[in-house]
Amino acid sequence: MARTSQRPAAANEVSALQAALAAEHAAVYGYGVVGAYLSGAALATATSDWVAHEVARDSLEAMLRSAGQAPVAASVAYRLPHRVHSSAGAMSLAVTLEDRVATAYLGVVAVTSPKIREFGARELLATATRAASWRGRTVAFPGFPAGAPAAARG
Amino acid sequence: MAADRTRRAVLAAGAACLPMLAVSGCKGVGALAAPPRPAPDVAILRAAIAAEEVMIARYDAVVRGSDGLAAALRPLRAEHRAHLAQLRSRLIVPAAAASRSAAAAAASRSTTAAGGRSAGVSPSPSAAPGLDGAAGRGSGDAVSGDTRSGAAGAVPAGRAEAISFLQDAERAAAATLLRKLPAVSPSLAQLMASVAASEATHVAALATAAGTG
Repeated sequence: MARTSQRPAAANEVSALQAALAAEHAAVYGYGVVGAYLSGAALATATSDWVAHEVARDSLEAMLRSAGQAPVAASVAYRLPHRVHSSAGAMSLAVTLEDRVATAYLGVVAVTSPKIREFGARELLATATRAASWRGRTVAFPGFPAGAPAAARG
Repeated sequence: MAADRTRRAVLAAGAACLPMLAVSGCKGVGALAAPPRPAPDVAILRAAIAAEEVMIARYDAVVRGSDGLAAALRPLRAEHRAHLAQLRSRLIVPAAAASRSAAAAAASRSTTAAGGRSAGVSPSPSAAPGLDGAAGRGSGDAVSGDTRSGAAGAVPAGRAEAISFLQDAERAAAATLLRKLPAVSPSLAQLMASVAASEATHVAALATAAGTG
């Protein structure tokens, strides 16, 4: 990701980027668990997805630093949404991780800076693609937690 | 009492003015000189709606033309219908204005085959209505709305060709939405980015569909 310009970032931009970074930290941690239960092609996919989250995390940290902000740090450990005992459980965890990341990027899309908005949209697209591959099907509204946007919003 | 009457009159005048306040600020004709600037959202929303309508028409055409693909394509088409419904729900225009602009749009396109509901999709061998349960396609400009990519165009004959036709359409639709993101409100940007992401995932899903069945 190219450097963003040096300028004071709006508060909502910072909080959206920090939320995305926190989600990426969680995904990087979670994919470590995902990968532990997979083998073969699925493991290769998990590994490349893991790397993608590390790259996104690094981009977010760079964007926050260039805006004069301290990037939020990763936690030592994360509570997983569910226990993983099998490859099926691992894939379902991957879906959950991607969905949470997608929701965080939807917040980034809502900021007004065109560059940051575009970054959020690109990452939303990437995470939706990964989620669809783990889920085995597509969804109509990636990033919207309820599966669809709230009805009558402006 | 005279003083009381006067005050009441003033209050009444104030009340009479109230409904106007929101519209004109009670400034009279001069206030009309500066109409509220039209939100870029509306034009972009209309284009996004037209693009979804064309996309659905393309899926309709491919589904009609290939029995083998129908089962795999229906879920994707259903997602496009969901996109269309969401986009339409963001467009709040008086019905009269909407139909007027639709008519104008249709009239501006000399080559449009506006007579039929799915006429723009055309060279499909089957003449079936093909609007099974479609979310009430509104007007004749629906299908012919996308001039950028030659409307629904001719659907290629072969199965692989039809799939790659849809893949190209999905890619182009997603790219168009992303390109317009900087101009819209945060809320619409979220919807457009999500729709674009969904369309991007359809590219891989279509590849899978091509491989099965």
